[in-house]
Amino acid sequence: MSNLDLQEGSVLRLEELSISFGGLKAVDNLSFEIKEKEIFGLIGPNGAGKTTAFNCITQFYRPNHGKIYFRDKHGKVTNLIDHPVHEIIKLGLVRTFQNVELIRELSILDNVLIGAHIDFKSSLLAQALKTKKAKDEETALRNEAIEVLTFLGIADRMLLPAGGQPYGILKKVELARTLMCHPKLIILDEPAAGLNDIETVNLAKVIRTIRDKYGCAVLLVEHDMRLVMDVCDKICAINFGKFLAVGSPKEIQRNKDVQAAYLGETEADQ
Amino acid sequence: MSTFVQLVLRSLETGSIYSLAALGIIIIYRTSNITHFAQGAMGMFNTFVVTFLFTTAGMPLWLAIIGGMVSALITGFTVDFVIIRHTKKVSPVAKQIITLGLIMIFVGVTPFLFGVDPLNLPQLIPTGSLPVAGASISFNGILNIGFGLSVMAVLFYVLQRTKWGLAIRTTASNEFTARLMGVPTKTVTMVAWAVAAVLGVLAGVMTAPFTSVTLNLMDGVQLNALIACVLGGFQTFYGPVLGAYIIGIAKNLLVYYVSSVWGEQLLYLGILIFIVFRPYGLIGKKIVKKV
Amino acid sequence: MKIKKPAFNLKKNAHLNYVLFGAVLCLVPLLIELGLLRNSYLTLVGSVIIYSVAAIGLNLLLGWSGLISLGTAGFMGLAAYISAYVTVNLKLPFEVAVLLALSIPLAVGILVGLVSLKIEGLYLAIATLSVSEILRKSFEEFGDITNGFSGKTAGYPKLLGFFQLDKYGTYLLLVVVLVGVMILIHNMINGQMGRALNAMRGSEAAAQAMGVHLLKYRLVAFALATSLAALSGILYIHFIKYTYPPTWTLGMSLNILSAIIIGGVRNIYGTILGVFVVFAVPDLFLKQIPYFGAMPGFAYIINGILIIVVIMYYPYGLIYLGNDMKKLWGKVKAKVKP
Repeated sequence: MSNLDLQEGSVLRLEELSISFGGLKAVDNLSFEIKEKEIFGLIGPNGAGKTTAFNCITQFYRPNHGKIYFRDKHGKVTNLIDHPVHEIIKLGLVRTFQNVELIRELSILDNVLIGAHIDFKSSLLAQALKTKKAKDEETALRNEAIEVLTFLGIADRMLLPAGGQPYGILKKVELARTLMCHPKLIILDEPAAGLNDIETVNLAKVIRTIRDKYGCAVLLVEHDMRLVMDVCDKICAINFGKFLAVGSPKEIQRNKDVQAAYLGETEADQ
Repeated sequence: MSTFVQLVLRSLETGSIYSLAALGIIIIYRTSNITHFAQGAMGMFNTFVVTFLFTTAGMPLWLAIIGGMVSALITGFTVDFVIIRHTKKVSPVAKQIITLGLIMIFVGVTPFLFGVDPLNLPQLIPTGSLPVAGASISFNGILNIGFGLSVMAVLFYVLQRTKWGLAIRTTASNEFTARLMGVPTKTVTMVAWAVAAVLGVLAGVMTAPFTSVTLNLMDGVQLNALIACVLGGFQTFYGPVLGAYIIGIAKNLLVYYVSSVWGEQLLYLGILIFIVFRPYGLIGKKIVKKV
Repeated sequence: MKIKKPAFNLKKNAHLNYVLFGAVLCLVPLLIELGLLRNSYLTLVGSVIIYSVAAIGLNLLLGWSGLISLGTAGFMGLAAYISAYVTVNLKLPFEVAVLLALSIPLAVGILVGLVSLKIEGLYLAIATLSVSEILRKSFEEFGDITNGFSGKTAGYPKLLGFFQLDKYGTYLLLVVVLVGVMILIHNMINGQMGRALNAMRGSEAAAQAMGVHLLKYRLVAFALATSLAALSGILYIHFIKYTYPPTWTLGMSLNILSAIIIGGVRNIYGTILGVFVVFAVPDLFLKQIPYFGAMPGFAYIINGILIIVVIMYYPYGLIYLGNDMKKLWGKVKAKVKP
């Protein structure tokens, strides 16, 4: 695949993406492009197809139509649709989930280490025999995980099981897990859902610091408009799976179509 | 040709047995989200009750069968009341293991109550047969096929056309929402377990005359019923029934024409290969999980 | 969620613990020679060790990966018959027998796994149930190899072609194998593999997003479970020295499965405790109970009830009983003092 499909300086481009479930078009001909190190918001009313679009990008769903170009860790452009779901992370694209998906029985540290799954190079036999190489690898990644947890300010809890921790902490653990793979693009599915006001303000700071420290782009779906408007460099609005508008937070706020979609036609006309 | 007709007639009888058992399994699967491995063991236990009422208590067979159905109702109710309704928070895998535990309990209790000697249960209509296209089918066989079909007809009518059926189907599709909408899901689940147990004893009573009543009476039926669910798909009620008849016919044909020893085993292999190509069965569809 | 600490502290010097555990098991023959234990206890403890090997394998599948296999007995039996046939009929060395008796069940297991695991976990249980049915039938029908219902005998292993083990020697071999299996499995589940299996069980979506190839890891877990079942079958035939088809039925698979649940899912010592409860307690204690002890199927009922009770009220298994008792005792003392 040639690099021409994706402009220099862009990390992801959706081209006419469509998926339907039993006749209902959940995502309909959607296109947008994300630049490197950009914080990009995807917004839309409930049921607009935001999460479905996420699931298509990360290959949890197979889109019926369209292309998803992504510039991987090595600068190579590839169509994500050609990859099975578990290979997406290897390219440098990683996601969080709307309803936190952590392993309750495992410690926070082990949960973060799951994010380093693809970084383990030693074979199963080497692990079983606990060769020196396997041991060193485990120690190195463990230290890295501790570093990430320290960066997010939750290292003091790392040996506690994930089950039973407050929601705000769990969200951070999920974030930490995504950072283990040195991503090019992180996809956050409603990162502020379930957080209180202070936590949300903090989250905006954290997202920016992550972008600066790890040099990655961030794509987020969010209902909390304050967070979106505060943190995003660029926003794409969709409704009923269709593209509405793209632009800076200010432009989106002023856009008539977006207002109509959120407030209903009549109110916006007045 | 007459052999073939004979085989098919015989298969319809086998298919009826399998489909009753399979229907029991699918009802439990749809209402409680459990693969019911103990369907056969519970059927076996209640068939022992029928045999006991018939042989030792000296009841007429039809009355003994009704007695067995009552006992099945009670077993089904009890299993739900004592165990299943307290497992809301238990994972699906652990629930399946509970049914494996039920096998152990029923297989363990049966010899304690009814002894270890194999017993015999006759057919409801002991003699007589009807000639069909050069072959013949016993009156009891006709009864089994007819009875099996009518039980299923009634069940499908109840499921599709009545308020109760709607309650079962809503519970099957989403237990939580059903409860919010005021469907008495607890009662639905309890009735489902009772109905499944009755279907089990009916299958047991139909199987018993071909062999003797032992602890292993229902092993084959249970396995074939489970495989019928795989073949027909777990998503509909009629898929497994269809699967059961297909298995009944295919098994008898394979046993007669291919190998009397390995016919059944070949069938299992065939179905394993089949699910490679149609993973969700004849009728089933892939369900997209939302994340 | 409460943090449950195992009765044994696994993290500190886990390997040393396993070796010490093995050393304790090695005392059994000594105690028998000294006349402190009955002779029959060697077979009893030996059986517990043999079934533990299969149970640890199944725990990897059931506990860590959340998949049910009902084929344990079938694979054990298959390996037992192969090993007996190769050593007795073909007169080939023990090592060749081990190799064949491990690889043939493994190959069958991988095929079954490939077919059924592609779809959903639930299909594995049904597929393994049918496979074990096919295997059980084969043990009865292939009389030339299995001797049918008369049963098949084999001898104690002869290592490297000249080192003939006796009863005690074979017992020591069992202990060595068990300790080896415990250590290897411990290493696996406390590393990348264990985390991947846990992730798979806890959240398939998260596991996939983190790059865990579901089919691969399910298959690896099932292959390991199958190999350990086969290993257990090999040990069985060369320690018990006799086998016949009724041993390898669904009942055996269920017993091994119940051992895991009762003893402790995702816990190596718990598995062994469970095997002890399921396979040794009936012989040691239950049969002494008046009236009920003589009842056929009594132990089976107890195990069935125990499975259900443990799942419903004590999901981590009996291995945590000692620890919870201690905690409870601590609370009682604290309450009494002031």
